[in-house]
Amino acid sequence: MVALQLDSLLVALMIAALLLLLTAVLPWILSVASSKSRVVKEELVEVVKCLKCDYESVRKYEKGDYVGKVVGSCPNDKGSLVVKAIYVERYTQTK
Amino acid sequence: MDGSNEIASYLIVLLFLASFLMNFTDIPQRIQMQRFSSFVRKRLYALEELEADTRRKAIAYMSSVGIKEPSKVLEGFIDNFFLIRPVDIEPTDIIKRLKHLIRVREGSVRDYVRTVLSEADRSIQYSVESVLEVVSALRLLNKLIRHYLELGLKYNNWILVMQLAMQIPEVVEVAKAYAGSIDAFSSGIPIGDSVGPLVAKMLVGWGEPTRELSEGTDLYEVEIDKRKVYVIKASGPGSNVGWPGEALERLVREYDGEIERIITVDAALKLESEESGEVAYGAGAAIGDPGPEKIAMERVASEHSIPLDAVVVKMSEAEALSPLSKKIYEGALRAYDTVLKIIREKVREGGTVVVIGVGNTVGVR
Ligand SMILES: [Zn+2]
Repeated sequence: MVALQLDSLLVALMIAALLLLLTAVLPWILSVASSKSRVVKEELVEVVKCLKCDYESVRKYEKGDYVGKVVGSCPNDKGSLVVKAIYVERYTQTK
Repeated sequence: MDGSNEIASYLIVLLFLASFLMNFTDIPQRIQMQRFSSFVRKRLYALEELEADTRRKAIAYMSSVGIKEPSKVLEGFIDNFFLIRPVDIEPTDIIKRLKHLIRVREGSVRDYVRTVLSEADRSIQYSVESVLEVVSALRLLNKLIRHYLELGLKYNNWILVMQLAMQIPEVVEVAKAYAGSIDAFSSGIPIGDSVGPLVAKMLVGWGEPTRELSEGTDLYEVEIDKRKVYVIKASGPGSNVGWPGEALERLVREYDGEIERIITVDAALKLESEESGEVAYGAGAAIGDPGPEKIAMERVASEHSIPLDAVVVKMSEAEALSPLSKKIYEGALRAYDTVLKIIREKVREGGTVVVIGVGNTVGVR
């Protein structure tokens, strides 16, 4: 009877130790469980726009280009094509 | 009498002893200080690695534009060209003094770069200046962090060390953004802060400037829906912010205040809960300079009672320094629509309005 009581005390200590360990590891478990979407590929692109019509297209960035640079002529009406913006396109994947 | 009985009593004694040590001595704080300082040190090593990497990139860029002995030029720049802020307990003409000091510093930086970069166009010169400033900022940041860490360890100031550990993840983010901006500056790609100039360029239909209003700040004249629109932006495509306040002041004086409205467009820091690329408008001068340019706008607007509007695109500090993201580009498109709406609704036909695209014009002609 006495031995049994002391054993339960030991068990209680073990449980307390286990709970402590769990609280220590909990933040890590939570951070692993909530995995965010991650970027798999980044690409620099530029938007080119015709100064005459509404033609607009997105293409790969070419070194040396800047916003406002004339980079060719429009396929529709031969108006000058100008770089409207340069930005980073990110392709993400959810785990 | 019983084995488990003995173990349990030992454990209880141990528990009491441990709780005494934890509660009535400095030991836990010291242990924590060791843990936090090693946490800080690890990140500091990463930051110093980042700085070395940025240095290499800066040197590569400078030699690519024809600077001889680029590492010497870099070393000569870092730690020099500081600015001592003017006395502020006597605020009389503090703005004038601050403006003077900023111009003097800017001038000596310009001269320093000019001597090593004799025959290059202005946009390259501006970009070299920015690259040097970025490396210098990273150096200062790392020195400051090391300073506080060593101070904390020297005087056993565990609060200081812990504070540093709490703040360092945020600092690392900003440092990464700074380091990333060097790619944008050296290859001439717009950054988040370039939304102002980007919107300005959209308004003028990607045309050429009429003339230069003040050093490195251009004026464009266009007509939108029968309203005369003056657009001010820094001259690109090098990394440059220009002097938009001074330019506005000159323009308004030239037209003797015959201007119906002034609209400023700029990037603004977002709150964590806000979405990047959100557009908002309000009153005031949207510009984040140390003071002189902003106050010049406010003064000239209030002197002639011209309404001053602000249109901002929201982004984080890291986004403001990194190459433009799609979200922020879409924000710029919305800001453009907002500016057009203000012009159509609040400026009468035949009226005159000034739009200022505030921000770094890197990658935007
Ligand atoms: Zn076309």
